[in-house]
Amino acid sequence: MISSNVTRRRVRTVAAVTLTACLAAACSSTTGSSTSSGAGSSGSNGTYTIWDPYPQFDDSADWVKLLQKCGTDTGVAIKRTGYDTTDLTNKALLAAQQGNSPDVLIVDNPVVSTLADAGVLTTTEEMKVDTSAVEPNLLAAGQIDGKTYGIPIGANTLALYYNKEVLTAAGVDAAQIKDWASLTAALEKVKAAGKKGITFSAIGTEEGSFQFLPWFWGAGANLTQLDSAQGISALQLWSDWLKNGYAPNSVINNTQTTSWQEFATGQFAFAENGTWQLANAEKAGFEYGIIPIPSSSGGTAPAPTGGEFVTAPVQTDTGRYATSQKLISCLTNADNAYTTDTTLSYIAATDAVQAKQVAGNPDLKVWVEAVKAAKGRTSDNLGTKYPKISEPMWTGFQAALSGAKSPQDAFTAAQATAAAATK
Amino acid sequence: MAPHVTTRASVPAVPETGAGARRPRSARSGGHWTAWAFLAPVVVYLVAFYAYPLYRNLDLSLHRYTVRSFVQGGAPFSGLDNYRTVFDAPTFWPALTHTAVFTGASLVFQFSIGMALAIFFHQHFRLSATLRALFLVPWLLPLIVSASTWSWMLNSDSGIVNSALGVFGIGPVNWLTSPDWSLVSVTIANIWIGIPFNLVVLYSGLQAIPSDIYEAAALDGATPWSTFWRVTFPLLRPVSAITLLLGLIYTLKVFDIIWIMTKGGPADGSTTLATWSYRLGFGNLLPSFGPGAAVGNLLIVLAMVFGLLYIRMQRRAPR
Amino acid sequence: MNRSMKTAIGIMLTAIMLFPIYWMINVSFTKDTDMRADPPHLFPLHGTLEGYRAVLDQQLPYLGTSLLIALGTVALTVIVSAPAGYSLAKLRPRGAGALSFVLLVAQMIPGVIMAMGFYSIYLKLGVLNSAAGLVLADSTIAVPFGVLIFTAFMSGVPAELSAAAKIDGAGAFRTFWSVILPVSRNAVVTVSLFAFLWAWSDFVFATTLDGGGAQQPITLGIYRYIGNNNQEWNAIMATAVVASIPATLLLIVAQRYVAAGVTAGAVKD
Repeated sequence: MISSNVTRRRVRTVAAVTLTACLAAACSSTTGSSTSSGAGSSGSNGTYTIWDPYPQFDDSADWVKLLQKCGTDTGVAIKRTGYDTTDLTNKALLAAQQGNSPDVLIVDNPVVSTLADAGVLTTTEEMKVDTSAVEPNLLAAGQIDGKTYGIPIGANTLALYYNKEVLTAAGVDAAQIKDWASLTAALEKVKAAGKKGITFSAIGTEEGSFQFLPWFWGAGANLTQLDSAQGISALQLWSDWLKNGYAPNSVINNTQTTSWQEFATGQFAFAENGTWQLANAEKAGFEYGIIPIPSSSGGTAPAPTGGEFVTAPVQTDTGRYATSQKLISCLTNADNAYTTDTTLSYIAATDAVQAKQVAGNPDLKVWVEAVKAAKGRTSDNLGTKYPKISEPMWTGFQAALSGAKSPQDAFTAAQATAAAATK
Repeated sequence: MAPHVTTRASVPAVPETGAGARRPRSARSGGHWTAWAFLAPVVVYLVAFYAYPLYRNLDLSLHRYTVRSFVQGGAPFSGLDNYRTVFDAPTFWPALTHTAVFTGASLVFQFSIGMALAIFFHQHFRLSATLRALFLVPWLLPLIVSASTWSWMLNSDSGIVNSALGVFGIGPVNWLTSPDWSLVSVTIANIWIGIPFNLVVLYSGLQAIPSDIYEAAALDGATPWSTFWRVTFPLLRPVSAITLLLGLIYTLKVFDIIWIMTKGGPADGSTTLATWSYRLGFGNLLPSFGPGAAVGNLLIVLAMVFGLLYIRMQRRAPR
Repeated sequence: MNRSMKTAIGIMLTAIMLFPIYWMINVSFTKDTDMRADPPHLFPLHGTLEGYRAVLDQQLPYLGTSLLIALGTVALTVIVSAPAGYSLAKLRPRGAGALSFVLLVAQMIPGVIMAMGFYSIYLKLGVLNSAAGLVLADSTIAVPFGVLIFTAFMSGVPAELSAAAKIDGAGAFRTFWSVILPVSRNAVVTVSLFAFLWAWSDFVFATTLDGGGAQQPITLGIYRYIGNNNQEWNAIMATAVVASIPATLLLIVAQRYVAAGVTAGAVKD
C-alpha cells in the first residue's frame, strides 16, 4: 500500500529529526548548566550558584550584571537562577534534602526562619559575615534564638498612596489623616463625591497577611492573640469598609499588583501598597502623594518589613564558605547595596546607605521613616510560629470579608487554629 | 482512536486477562515472551518513573515530617496519624463535598457538551474541520494563562461577565470572592477546559461508526433524537466509558485552575481534596508534607475505586 | 437546516467557546493603567504594544525549546506506547489486565508528587536542568493515556489482517511494524496530539526539573514577567498569544489528518 509506505517514511524521518534535535538539545544544555556530581557539592569548583526570587531580571539586567561582577572580583564564575518567590522555599528544601543547595540563596524574609529551622542555612557567625551596620529591626526577621541567619539586601514596607486629584475634588486634606476615624471619614467624603475609596490586597496568601498587619498592629494587637478586642477591631475596620462600599469587593482576591492596577485607573483615592511601586507611581498619569498608615488612635502604625535576605546554605564542602562570604559581602557593601536597592525600589538596610538614598531623592524620606518604624513578621521570637499564625489569620479575614462569618467569629476560630498549631 | 465498532462486538478499552484465553496463542514458545518484550519499555517506564514517586508519597504520609526532618532525614514513623489528622480537620468534609460536586458537575457538563458538539461537527459542513481544530486552542494555553483570564473575566468590579450581566439589569455577582459562588466559578472554568478533550475523543468514536447504520435507521423512519439515543449512544458506550473514566481521573487531579482563581477560598469555599493537598504541602510558608501526602493518597484511592468499578463494568458487558 | 446555516452556527459556537481567548488577546494589548478599568474595555482602543515587544525580544528561544520538547515527547510517547498497545490488544499475554490497571492508577498520581520524585532521580543521573530530562518527564503524562488509546484502537483491527501477515511468515514485530501500525494512523495522530498539548502546557515538571536550565520551555519563560513584587500582565498574555500561534497551525493540520477518515484498513462488517 502506497500510503503505508509514505507513512512509514514520514514516521521514520520525523523520528530521526526529533531524536537528533533531542540529542542536540541535551548536549548543548548540559554544557550550559552547572551539573551536580552527586551528593555534596552544588557546583563544580570554579562555579558558584546563586538563587534569587527575581525572575523578572534576565542576563541583561543590572542585578545579574552585579552578580557576575561580584563573581569576577572574587575570581569565580557565577551561575544564577531566578525562581518564582512563592516556589523558592520548596525548591530550597528539596535541594537541601538532595544535597544540591546553591552557594548563595536570596529569599523573602519570613521564610528565613523556616529554612534556618530546617538546618538549611548557616549562621552569619559561621560565615563571618558582618551584620553590625544593619538596622536591628530589619535584622530581627532573620534571627532566631540569638543567632542570625542572613543579611538583608534591602527592605520595603507599606504606606498609603493617595490620588491628589481625587482627594482635592472630594475636599479631603491628606495631611489631616492621623487615625482610623479620620481615614474612614475621608473615605466617606470620597464616595459621596462619586469616586472609590481605598483598595488593598486581602487575598488568602501571605500577601494578604502582609497587608493586614499594619492595621492589626496599628490597633495594638499581638500576633499571639488574634481574637483580642484590638485584633477584632482591625478586622471590623476592613469589614465595615467593604460593607459601606468604601473598598471594592475585589480586594478579597486582589494581589498587591492587581490592587495597584485598580489604583492606577485613577478612580481610587487611596491604595495600600509598598515601596516597590514608586516607579509605577511616577508613570501613573495623575499626581500622587504618600502618607504613613495610621494606627487606630493616632500616629504611625508599625508596618511589616518586606524585602529579601541574602543567606548562605549549608554545604558539605565547607571550603566553599570563604568564597561565598566574599560574594555576600560584595553584594551587600554600601555601593552595591545602593545600586541594588535603587533598582528594586527598596530602602537600604543600613543607616549610611539610607542617608545616601534620601540625599539622592528627598521623596524617599517618608519611606525611610516608615522602614525605621517597621517590624519583622517573624520577630518577637515568633520564628516558625509565624506561618502557623499567618495562615489562620488570612483564612479568618477572608471569611469575614466575604460575609461567611462575623469578624468576631472569624478571628475566634482563627485563634483556635493558630493556638493549636503553635502549641 | 476509538475501537472500530462493528455490529458484532464492542471492544473493551481495558482487555481482560489472558487467563483462559479465548484466542489460540502462538504455538511458538516465544509467544509469551514476545508479548512481554513489546511491553518491556512500558514496564521499565512504570517501575522507574511511577513506582518511586508513589513510594515517596506513601512514605511522606506515614511519617511525621517537619521541615528539619524533611531535609536532614530521621522523621519518626507515625503510622496512620497523618490520616487521622486529615480526617479530623475541619476542612475535610467541605473538601470532600466540594470535590464530589466539582467533579460530578464538570463531568456531566463536559461530557454532554462535548457529545453535542461532536455530533454537530460530525455533519461535515464547510469549515467544520477547521472549527473543530480551533476548539482545541484552550488546551494550548498554560493553565496560569487560562485560569488568569477567567479570573479577570469574573472579577467582581472590572470583569466582563458582570458588565454583561449589568446590561441585562442583573446585579453584579461576586464570582470569585463569595463562598457561595466560588465553587461555581471554578467549575465553569474547568468545564470550559474539559470540553476539547471530550470533543476530540467522542468525535473519533463517532467516526468509527459506519454510515450504513444511520442509513438503515433513517430507512426505518427514526427521528434524529431516537437515532441518537437508540443507535449512536449505545454504540459509543465503550468510548464514552473511557472518556468519563479519564475525565474523572483528570478532574480529580485538577488544582491549578482552582488555585490560581480562588486559592481554594474564600474560607475554603472552593477547596477540593487536590487543592487542600497542595496547600498543605506547598501552598504556605511552612509545609506540612505528611498531611499533604495523606490527602494525595486519599485522592489516588478514590480514583482507584472508580477505576475498579470501570473494569468491573467492562467485564460484565461483552456485546 | 442547510449547510450554510450549520456553518454559521458552528462559527457562533466556536466564537462563544473562544471568547476567553479573545479576552486574553484583549488584555495583551492593554496598558497597565487600564487593566482594571471599570467597566472593562471590550476593545483595546488605547492599546500598547509593549507586551509584544517584550515577548519578541525575549521569548523566542523559549518557544523554540518548547517546540523541541513537545516534539520529543510525542516521539518518545509513541515509541513507548504503540508497541505496548499492540501487545495488550493482539498478543494478550497473561497479566496484561493487571498492567492495564496499573497504567490507570499511574495517571492518578498528582504531578507535584511525580516531580519531587523525579528530582532526586534526575540529580543522581545528572539530567537535571536539561531539555532531554524534561522530554522524559513530560512523556510520563502521556504514556499511560497512549497505551490505553492504542490498546483500544488496535483491538478493533480485524484479526484477518494479522492472520494474513502470519501466513506470509511475518513474526510479531513485522506484523506490528508493517501491518498494524500503518492501519492505526488515527490512533498515532490522536496520541501525538495529546502528547504534544500536554508537553506544551506543562509547568510543574518544567519548574522543578528545568528551573535552572539553560534551555527552558515557554511555561517558564512566562515567569520572566512574574516578578517577586510585580506582574506584567500584558506581557504574560502576549507570551501566551505568541506561543499559541504555531501550535494552533499545527493543530489545524493534524485535525485534517484525523478527519481523513478511517478508510485505510477500516473495519467492515
